[in-house]
Amino acid sequence: MFNVRTIIKVMGMSLYIEFAMLLIAAGVSAIYGENVNPFLTTSGITFVLGSMLYPVGADSEKRITRRDGYVIAFLSWFFISIVGMLPFLFSGVVKDVPSAFFETVSGFTTTGATLFTNIDKLPHGILFWRSLTQWVGGLGFICFMIALLPVFGVNGMQLFSAEAAGTTYEKLHPRISVTAKKIICIYFAITLLQVIFLCFGKMSLFDSVCTSMATLSTGGFLPHQAKIAYYHSRYLEYIIVVFMILGGTNISLLFFAVNGKVKKLLRDSEFRWYIRTLIIFTIIVFASLLMQDSSDVEKDFRYALFQVSSFLSSTGFTNTNYLNWPLLTWGILLIAMLCGACSGSPSGGIKCIRFNVAYKIFHNEFLHIFHPNAVLPVRVNDRVLPERMKTGILYFIVLYIVVICVGTLVLLTMNIGFTESLSMVISCIGNVGQAMGNVGQNGAWNNLPTAGKWVCSFLMLTGRLEIFPMILMFIPAFWKKN
Amino acid sequence: MKIIIGGAGAVGTHLAELLSRENQDIVIIDDDNNRLDPIRSHYDLMAVTGSPSSIEMLNEVGVSKADLFVAVTPDENRNLMACILASKLGVKKTLARIDNYEYLEPENAEFFKNLGVGSLIYPEMLAANEIASSIRMSWVRQWWKFGKNGELILIGAKIREKCELLNLPLREIKAEDPYHIVAIRRDNETIIPRGSDFVQLYDIVFFITTPEYIPYVRKIAGKEDYKDVHKLMIMGGSRIAMRTAQIVPDNLSVKIIEQDPIRCELLNQHVGKNTIIINGDARDISLLKEENIEDTDAFVATTGNSEANILACLNAKRLGINKTVAEVENLDYISMADSLDIGTIINKKKIAAAHIYQMLLDEDVTNVRSLTFSNADVVEYIAGENDAITKNVVKDLGLPVGVIIGGVIREGKGIIVNGNTQIIPGDDVVLFCVGQGQMLKKIDKFFK
Repeated sequence: MFNVRTIIKVMGMSLYIEFAMLLIAAGVSAIYGENVNPFLTTSGITFVLGSMLYPVGADSEKRITRRDGYVIAFLSWFFISIVGMLPFLFSGVVKDVPSAFFETVSGFTTTGATLFTNIDKLPHGILFWRSLTQWVGGLGFICFMIALLPVFGVNGMQLFSAEAAGTTYEKLHPRISVTAKKIICIYFAITLLQVIFLCFGKMSLFDSVCTSMATLSTGGFLPHQAKIAYYHSRYLEYIIVVFMILGGTNISLLFFAVNGKVKKLLRDSEFRWYIRTLIIFTIIVFASLLMQDSSDVEKDFRYALFQVSSFLSSTGFTNTNYLNWPLLTWGILLIAMLCGACSGSPSGGIKCIRFNVAYKIFHNEFLHIFHPNAVLPVRVNDRVLPERMKTGILYFIVLYIVVICVGTLVLLTMNIGFTESLSMVISCIGNVGQAMGNVGQNGAWNNLPTAGKWVCSFLMLTGRLEIFPMILMFIPAFWKKN
Repeated sequence: MKIIIGGAGAVGTHLAELLSRENQDIVIIDDDNNRLDPIRSHYDLMAVTGSPSSIEMLNEVGVSKADLFVAVTPDENRNLMACILASKLGVKKTLARIDNYEYLEPENAEFFKNLGVGSLIYPEMLAANEIASSIRMSWVRQWWKFGKNGELILIGAKIREKCELLNLPLREIKAEDPYHIVAIRRDNETIIPRGSDFVQLYDIVFFITTPEYIPYVRKIAGKEDYKDVHKLMIMGGSRIAMRTAQIVPDNLSVKIIEQDPIRCELLNQHVGKNTIIINGDARDISLLKEENIEDTDAFVATTGNSEANILACLNAKRLGINKTVAEVENLDYISMADSLDIGTIINKKKIAAAHIYQMLLDEDVTNVRSLTFSNADVVEYIAGENDAITKNVVKDLGLPVGVIIGGVIREGKGIIVNGNTQIIPGDDVVLFCVGQGQMLKKIDKFFK
């Protein structure tokens, strides 16, 4: 029923990509004169494993069904996370498997929730590895595979649509591999641009690279425990705000904007909704901060803007301790985590387009009360949405909320506080990485019990794969013939 | 090469599928998003919802940078309009699907060129040609011409008891014989034969030969006693049926059975004296008997319904007709119809798409797979200077198993290849292979 050999082959290929990543991290380790063995050992294991899996699918049938696509999306994320946690274990910075897995999944899914309470003391290689997992995870492995390994041909499309974050990459070129290459190029270019800007702000090169990789991917891992507050620099904070907002923008639209079609970006209804949400949330948070303490207006504005863009784009950076803020701001930040940014971007959450459509559907329902016979279309970018897509979007939002409820209940059984449980679940599934209440020391999540780490890792993967592929794995009908 | 296809109907979809496998950059435009959805998720191409005859749309998909624009919507006027617009917007070549024979007249070619419509195709006409030629050579299952003027011919014939090659190892066929067996289809499997293989009873054997030796192939295939067709019966008065009746020789008498009386009137205005139109249902056996089906030499089913065509042909076979031709538009039914022993199968989409393909091949000398038959691929390459293939005689080239060189076209003449043939630069080499993509890659190495 499943094209098992091709699935195994794709697993092998994703390991090759990870092998290349590990070598880069080993190189960074070597530059700083640290122990490169954890990376070299892991890359050795990855290469051997990849070379064992890859030939299995050598002559396999090239066709991949939708079902195969989902299995591949799920398994590849699972596999790379298993292998990706080895450097943490081998270097001894993490002692137990659940914590290492949590940290790695948090990296690849661009969540950015960390268990480390001593980040400033970690070796450079490990810090770099955490950021690199976020950078690659932001676009997804499949995008890199399609661009770098020319073996997919016809079926790349099927895979691309199964790995959820990629669902709405607009095709930039008739061929999928060229599209993937263009997306990676623009992604790389913007990251490089941020590195340059950060270096201007007197951030060290290493910090700039790590921060940039975690910003555009909307990740959240930083090389300092105090996060952005470490630098005490207004310039850096504003620069990072700009790139966080870019990280939440549809990459295809960024591509068009760079190629001179800025109008296409500015007229996009989702992008407008995203910016509008950003402005409104910032104003509310700014106002409540002013009410609490109006001694430094610029500082309040900066904090408000930074935190709102950080939560809305699902990055999860902090430049202050928002836990000391008024409770209203917590609510706004929670809603921002639920919303997320644009589809086709590395960000998490429900995504603006779905809220936009849901809003229009509700609006139409009210109109129906006054005009019972009216036929009211839902338009996105001047195109009328078909009925099936509308119900699909509502269905997704409902399912998202159901998963949050179930996840919260599960964490509550572990005697974690209510605020903590709810915010951690929303944060995990939205791939944000920050939570409210007392989750641990220094912004780490180290109060989580072992079972909680597994649950959170699972939720992060669920959010990254946009729920359906993950849920499908637990539906018996998916595994049955016919 | 960037190719824009307007219209995601049967022909457009099939063409897009073929071309996207060739790693061409394909953009397909259609008004109906529902038709594009399956294409979008299955093939590596860009599917855009919009009108193929809208200037804004054409600009949006970058028509000025495209090499070829193919308009294959159901409406010929729209196709012509779209081609005219596309060529004014800067596309290099255009091709329109039409329904009108007049436009194909050679004296009008210049007129259409000036308008911006480079080439025209008429799928029903192509299908009718195919039917007519398969009736002319009633002993042949499938045939295909290579080269501009058909210098090489591929013939597929079913082997029955009278074949001279039966149970003879292929290596015992003399090298200088003017034909070459390039593929054998046996129980749904296609093999590229080697010297030790045998031809068995009920195999379909594919011979490649030059036009002058067709009678010789007929003799050794044991098909000499096959009657030439004098009486033809066609079920369904479709456009293909009408075209077929028009192009078959006058000495052939044709009966077209059509259900719709109004359609019958119309058919009568277009066919010649050798054709009788009969109003009735061709699935009705008593009607067929009344019309003397036993005396008919060939039966062609071209209604719009593939299932009915297949069943009608089976029925005709049972009534003792040797040669049956069925139009099967449902691509998935083709292999099934093949195994049901219905002589020749006609598929408008495949014919049209293959024809467009062939046109691409004529334009561009890089490799293009020209057709697929029975799971085997046919590839044509032009041998260049210093290509590996020109370095040795064929038997010492070390071609991989599953690949065979059928023949070459050299200076406008077809040459049958045997082990001692030396390929020289400039030859148009026709190869056959099984094994899809990977095999093509292996072949590529010989042309570098």
